[in-house]
This record gives sequence, structure tokens and C-alpha cells, in this order.
Amino acid sequence: MHKRIGVSCLCALTAIAATLTQHSLSAWELSEQDFKRLHAQLQPQPDESWRTIPWKIGLLDAQHLAAAEKKPIFIWAMDGHPLGCT
Amino acid sequence: MLDRASTFADSDIVEMLKTKFVPLAIDQAYQRRQKDAEGEFYRKIAGQGPRKTKDFQGTTQGFYIATADGNMLLYNNNRDPQKVRRLMKQKLAEFRSSSARNASVAKIDAGKLDPRFNVEPPEGGLVVRVRAKVMDGYEKSSDRWRQLFQTAVSRDNLWISKDEHKLLTQGRFPASLQHRIARYHLVDNTRGEPPMWQGKEIRKSEMAIQDGKLWGTIHLQTDSGDRGYQAELLGTVEIKNDEIVRFDMVALGEFWGEGRYTKGAPEGKFPLAISFTLADGADVADKVPPQGSRGWVQGYLR
Repeated sequence: MHKRIGVSCLCALTAIAATLTQHSLSAWELSEQDFKRLHAQLQPQPDESWRTIPWKIGLLDAQHLAAAEKKPIFIWAMDGHPLGCT
Repeated sequence: MLDRASTFADSDIVEMLKTKFVPLAIDQAYQRRQKDAEGEFYRKIAGQGPRKTKDFQGTTQGFYIATADGNMLLYNNNRDPQKVRRLMKQKLAEFRSSSARNASVAKIDAGKLDPRFNVEPPEGGLVVRVRAKVMDGYEKSSDRWRQLFQTAVSRDNLWISKDEHKLLTQGRFPASLQHRIARYHLVDNTRGEPPMWQGKEIRKSEMAIQDGKLWGTIHLQTDSGDRGYQAELLGTVEIKNDEIVRFDMVALGEFWGEGRYTKGAPEGKFPLAISFTLADGADVADKVPPQGSRGWVQGYLR
């Protein structure tokens, strides 16, 4: 099932790329069908494992929980927010 | 993005983060500058690491493990899952065999927040999830990390003010919102922090709403012409009880060029798709401020 979805997505992407290369931008239009297909394809996949992690986004919230549960804090500190920048 | 697809795709690491650690994700550009209790606590931890710079002016990015009282147990800036997994297990064992495990630690009072770096989505406004993907144009690569970049779908949030929300419900696409979308959200952020567009680089911008449909056309380009985006926009908006309940839009067109932190773009012009979806608050990332608002949310929202 997953394989079939993957192949289907790949075909759709190839079709859109082909559309873009066949038409100059001045003559090219984004169709309703392209919109629906692309919008669906750019949604996050439900099985992305990093999204199942109960991330805190406030350091003091994390400190409070770490103090209460006597756990260490794992800090993923990036340039740009790691959950929503790039 | 690489971390999401590598380090945090490792099942052992994910399981440890769920059960044995308190996992925290931050843009350290905020915390290292914040003049409040959160900033002080972050600098206490990061100041024990190797990336401490004078007045914390430079980046302190990386993975840290710290105790609740701010003792840094680990700094690591290598995302290799095997290494991260090994270090996490090692530091967890050290933590558990130390007195820190059973120490009673007071919760830090947030006190007065630094308003510059503690921003919330506009009251009465909207949060829209924005994702971008390069659809084609990369040279094939056998390098794993390059492959991850080439298939990446980026993430950011668009904030819409209360006044703009109201105008949208009246079937109008506010100029301020068009400007914000063009400058900060029609960017290629799939390989890192992107350069945002300057106002003068918006060569053409038309966005409108008609009969529940969103449409537009955009031409963004630097003066030198080394970077640009020409695209069409299409979408759907739904209104219920004077509120926007659906804001789905896609931009699709040709992008060219790259930024200081987005090296490795395809040669020449390449198709870039960007989707917009109204956030429902179910994802913790819905609370993350837009990248373009960093440190100056008033400027972003004007």
C-alpha cells in the first residue's frame, strides 16, 4: 500500500515538473487539479517519527517538568526553530 | 530539516526522548539574547559548552543534555544517529548514577518576560502552516545527506492579524498580508535559513479573493537578478460565522538562486511549490513564531 502511494506521488511530481518545463511562466497557469494535488502532497506524513516526540518549546516549561519527573532535559537548539523554520 | 529526517527518525532516540528525557526544541537565537529568566537559564547551560562567545553574540546551536538545575551533561553538534544514541545512553547512565537524579530542584519562576522574544500569535488572528518543496532540478546524488535536502519539505508559520482576518472574511485580500506572504513566505527554505525578500524586490504581486477562491501571481527578484521567484498562486477560502475556517493555497513557479545558508540549490531555474494550510493548534509547532518575525514581530506584522 505504502509503495503504491509512493509511486503515485512520484508520478504526480514528475507530471507537475514536466508541466513547468513545457510552459513559459507567462503562459503557464496553476490548475485547480494541480492545486489540490500539490496541497495534499505537501502535508506532513502521519508516520514521521520526530512528530511523535512530545517536544516542549519553552525552556522553563521543560525545566519544570524535568524537576518534577527527575529527568534530564534534551535540548535541540538550532538557528531557526527546528520545528518550524526550514 | 536534516535532524528531523536523521537523528529524530531513529527509533531508539525517539523512544528515549519520549520516556527518559524532557525533549525541548528551540531557536537558540531567542534564548541566548533574552533578557529574562529563560534566557539566563539557557545561557547558564550553553555557557558550559564550547560555543560560548562573548555576550553570546554567536550561535550556540547543537544538542545539549542538562539537568533541571542547569548543569550541562553534554554538548554535541553532530547529528549522526549512532553517535547521538550512544551519547544519550552514556549521559543518561551518568545522570542516573549521580546525586542529580534524586536532587530536589526548584522550578524557575519565569518572572517578567522579555517582550522582544516572547511573542504570541495575534489575538483574533490566524496561524497558517507554510511548507515548501523543490519539485525537480537537482542532480542525482548518492550522498545520503544531500538526498535528504533534495527531498525536504520545509516548515514555517504565517501569522495573520485580527484586522487582516476580518478583511479576509469580507472577501478582501489585505495589502499588508500580500506583502508579508511575498517577503517572508515565498522563499526556498528547504536547505536552511533562507534570505527573506526586501520590499523593493517585490517586482509584481497580485493576490485576490473571488467567490471563495484565492488566486495570485508573483514576481520576486533581487537587483542583481541572482535570485528570484516567479509563480502563480491558487487556493480556497471558507468562512463560517464571520471566521476563516479554511485557508488552503499553493504557490507554484520557478525559483532560481540560493542564499548564504541555503547553498546547494539546483542549477538555473527550478520548480518550487509552497503550500499554505490553516493551523488547527493540534501541532506544537503551530505556536512557533514565523522565521521572518524573529526579534521584530511588529515589523513582520505591519
